[in-house]
Amino acid sequence: MTKIIEVQNLKKEYKMGKIIVPALNGVDIKIQLGEFVGIMGPSGSGKSTLMHILGCLDTATDGNYTLNSQNVSKLKKNKLSSIRNKQIGFVFQTFNLLPHLNIQKNVELPLMYGGYTAKARAKKAIKVLLEVGLGDRLKHKPSELSGGQRQRVAIARAIVNNPAIILADEPTGNLDTNSGNDILSIFSDLNDKGHTVIIVTHDPAVAKRANRIIKIVDGLIQNGNIS
Amino acid sequence: MAISLKENLFNGLSDLWSRKIRSLVTIIGIVLGTMSIIVVLSLMNGINKKTMQWMMERGGLSKITVRKNWSYDNPKNAKTYFTWKEIRLIQSLIPEAKYFNPEIRKWLRLSYQKKYFHSSIFGVVPDFSKIEEWDVESGRFISEFDINQSNDVIVIGTKTKEELFGNKNPIGELITVRNRRLKVIGVMAHRFMKNSGAIGNENALSYLNRRNFVPISTMINKGTGEDIIGSFAVKSQNIETAPELREKLEAIIFNLRHREPVFKIESAQEEAKEMAKNQRMFQIIFFVVSIISLLVGGIVIANIMLASIQERTREIGIRITVGARRRDIFIQFLVQTILVTMLGGILGIVVGLSILDFVSNYLEMELVAGLNVILIALFVSAGVGFFAGIIPAVLASKLNPVEALRYE
Repeated sequence: MTKIIEVQNLKKEYKMGKIIVPALNGVDIKIQLGEFVGIMGPSGSGKSTLMHILGCLDTATDGNYTLNSQNVSKLKKNKLSSIRNKQIGFVFQTFNLLPHLNIQKNVELPLMYGGYTAKARAKKAIKVLLEVGLGDRLKHKPSELSGGQRQRVAIARAIVNNPAIILADEPTGNLDTNSGNDILSIFSDLNDKGHTVIIVTHDPAVAKRANRIIKIVDGLIQNGNIS
Repeated sequence: MAISLKENLFNGLSDLWSRKIRSLVTIIGIVLGTMSIIVVLSLMNGINKKTMQWMMERGGLSKITVRKNWSYDNPKNAKTYFTWKEIRLIQSLIPEAKYFNPEIRKWLRLSYQKKYFHSSIFGVVPDFSKIEEWDVESGRFISEFDINQSNDVIVIGTKTKEELFGNKNPIGELITVRNRRLKVIGVMAHRFMKNSGAIGNENALSYLNRRNFVPISTMINKGTGEDIIGSFAVKSQNIETAPELREKLEAIIFNLRHREPVFKIESAQEEAKEMAKNQRMFQIIFFVVSIISLLVGGIVIANIMLASIQERTREIGIRITVGARRRDIFIQFLVQTILVTMLGGILGIVVGLSILDFVSNYLEMELVAGLNVILIALFVSAGVGFFAGIIPAVLASKLNPVEALRYE
């Protein structure tokens, strides 16, 4: 199997005035292509920090991070923008859609920064919106959709650029049980189609879907890593 | 990779459209500033033009006038007029002058049959018509022969003609002034200045139509019997030699009056320069005021953009998360600010031009905003947008995506 993510001895410290607060204390993670992984841990365990670093939104203080055979630990901000754009699809608890754009335009957003033409963008966006079952809502604003539908738009936006990993942060946190299950089914389907899915969550329902759970406590991995 | 300008413009426009009231308020600020630049600059240009036109109508830039200096209190009681003999002397000392006209002015009653009219009568010589570039519309003007003979003749203005003769041809008729009968030999051409701007109900030149002219010798020898010549005018060969001639005249008259500055010697050219200088000062003041009002608009825009970025922090976070680079965010916000100010600038030009149209109709004055004025207005408004937009755009592009996403 191919390794899509390899993290070695990852450390992250925050400076709060003169005090240094450690968030990650040397984390090692390996994730294979096509895995469905849940990252779980209590509040303050460092899982959000880990998710930001895995998503190239933040950089580690120390350690190595290899994503899709590329060492991304020391890359410049513009390079990281490009990695986020092409390799990573984000899904958030609060959906994070742009309220003044219709859902097609929302889905097109990563493609716009990826340099696609308007025509190509529309084509790709409509295709993925059809896949998540929103083909009849293209021109609706996010505020006209239910929570579950909004999260499906967010998923469409995450997969539109065909990224190496899909990174979801509490994707069911703002949804009722039914909608949450729908969303998790979509993640399962995507995983079946070969996408690597990583979900950071408290939700035990996620655990049932995932191939593997990585537990993190006090900035350290407790169990669940395969070698 | 980069997003095209067209796309940025389109995104900017739809952003503006989605925040209509805010955009409108911002645009109004710029409209007012740009409009005031257009109106002020064009108004100043119009006034400058009008002043020059008036100068040309009153004998052009090579004219030099000598009259009593009212601001000098004359402690030694020097003579504040010239005698005919002195006038002849002065004329002989400046042979380079092209024309020379001494002038006596009297306010008198002119009567014809049972009608009468009070007006100015000027004692002049034939050069008057050359200096003022003003000839008769019918009959003839005063001749050298009239001067030599002190003939009882008069050339009247169109207003006098209208008052005393109505539609009747006045040439050859006799007008009575101080019990002396003067034969009308000509009527001066009617004076009217186009686009002069109305002063009350009168045209800027219509006072000239009330003036009447007799030979200066007739006035001295037969009229008052007083040899008192209050002023005279000279015209130099050309505009270039006017200042030199003015200096020479000043020296002559200064000597004649034992260094007492009882006369004021003014050249139209220097007067025009002085006027232009004063006007330029006003122009600069008004321009600076307009620029300040635009700057205030710019500061307001910068402020609104800063507030907007605060409000859109999360949006910026989302954009950065899905792959926007710093440059993309910077350009997005800068383009938006420039768009607002350019829109405001163009609208301001349109509004400014319509106000000019209205003002120029109201003042009966030709006010034209030249292309340079329009370009200045557009350039300044775009510049204001550029500078007002830079700081907010830089701040937006430097946001940390993790913090921006958490922002509520």
